[in-house]
Amino acid sequence: MSPVDLLTRAAGERWTGALVVGGHPGGTVYLVEGRVVHAESPAAPGVGELLTSSGRLAARTWQNALDLGTSTARVGRLLIEQGHLTQGELELCVLGAIYDAAYFALASSSAPAPAEFLDRAAHWLGPIVHIDPAAVLRESRRRATLLDEIFPDRRVDTAAVIPVPRPPRERVWLTASQWELLVAADGQRTPADLAQLLGRAGFATVQELRRLAAQGLLELPEVRADAPEFVHLPRAGGTAVDVKRTPVRVDERRPAPVISGSAPVVSVPPLPVVSVPPLPVVSAPPLPVISAPPAPPGPAPPAPGGSGSPGPAGPSRAVESAAEPGTYRPPGLARRKPGAKLPKDLAAEPPPIHPGTDEVLLKRIRTALRALR
Amino acid sequence: MPGVDHCLQEAMAIPGAVGASIVDYTTGFPVAMTGAAPNSDHEAAAAGTADVVQAATSRSLYLSAMPHDLLEDLIITTAGGYHLLRMVQTDFDSRLVLYLWLDRQQGNLAVARRRMQKLAADLVAR
Repeated sequence: MSPVDLLTRAAGERWTGALVVGGHPGGTVYLVEGRVVHAESPAAPGVGELLTSSGRLAARTWQNALDLGTSTARVGRLLIEQGHLTQGELELCVLGAIYDAAYFALASSSAPAPAEFLDRAAHWLGPIVHIDPAAVLRESRRRATLLDEIFPDRRVDTAAVIPVPRPPRERVWLTASQWELLVAADGQRTPADLAQLLGRAGFATVQELRRLAAQGLLELPEVRADAPEFVHLPRAGGTAVDVKRTPVRVDERRPAPVISGSAPVVSVPPLPVVSVPPLPVVSAPPLPVISAPPAPPGPAPPAPGGSGSPGPAGPSRAVESAAEPGTYRPPGLARRKPGAKLPKDLAAEPPPIHPGTDEVLLKRIRTALRALR
Repeated sequence: MPGVDHCLQEAMAIPGAVGASIVDYTTGFPVAMTGAAPNSDHEAAAAGTADVVQAATSRSLYLSAMPHDLLEDLIITTAGGYHLLRMVQTDFDSRLVLYLWLDRQQGNLAVARRRMQKLAADLVAR
């Protein structure tokens, strides 16, 4: 059953509970006796985010109300009773949040979304306003039409916002909120991220973004197949390990080289070690690799208590790997002259974009830390 | 404790009031309404209200004449009535305007404007 049908049925039969809409972005609509009392969506900042990011409520105050009122579902009532908000403010805030989230849950996706009804589920905010579900549905659809009249491309609503590097015209008109969006858009943030970051309603954000897109100021997202746009996937950049490398197998028959085992050998100057044929290394597996070179005692007597320089370790390892067939060697890069350009195949690959600090996440962490104080 | 409904009731108590609503002017949607609306259609009236507010805030230059200037109210007078739009300034992000339709004969513009100022302020306790 589609979310809309389920909501209509819930309204008709006066259900109480939560209508959970899956899909993308999805959301939840809470009903009490068939009337909408709250709605949430990942694409729309919630009441708490709107109130705290604007500075209307201190994060502590909000967290305090959450701690006290969540279990009894009266967070909103508490905020009013404690005098932090007026009834009018909370009602307006909740009304705005409901219509905002409802649009994303019910009307923003063209694909049919899965929906289920959780009976008796209540929201922790508690009922502040009651709205006829038919009005919510009608308004959600109207908002979808409004957006399409501005710029009929739904991908703008979910894809990462990328301003064009060069505007397509000489003179560009921006409203204050459009400016804020462009300044905050770092090429990674989605409209939902920007809404959270700026403490702005999700729909208002999307609306301004569609206007910017209509002006040609945003890069249009390419069609991506079923990629979850709300999740930032790490960019497929080059890894440190070559994929063609043969998997490393631990040879259990061979003991690992132990440096501390043969103290006098360590201080042998590296020069004679390299010149020695690698015979003992390979032919005597039980022997520790490092202890192999004692055969030619160097001209210099072993200095007891030498600085323990691991000199022989490097060359002897190189010798070993040269002797062993099938050992992986990374492809060597051609040496470049100072200032020379990178080879074409390397230069074509864009540099890995440093994932920007997630300000929303930082903000949440800060909120949580403040609440602990 | 004045809530939205209380605010609208008070607005309707202003002499000459015919209808009142609170309109979200980003979307042109009446989040709350009472009484009559022009052409008996609150939603169409709200959409029109939003257009007027948008015109005053973003499409005209009155507000950018001075930095940090703020739109307070818009008054439209017609031969038959007064239409008052009072911006509701909330701290959190909401673009709301309190709309009052007054009868021209019974309404007093100055009185109504003062009362609307107070109502909008009381609603958000400013």
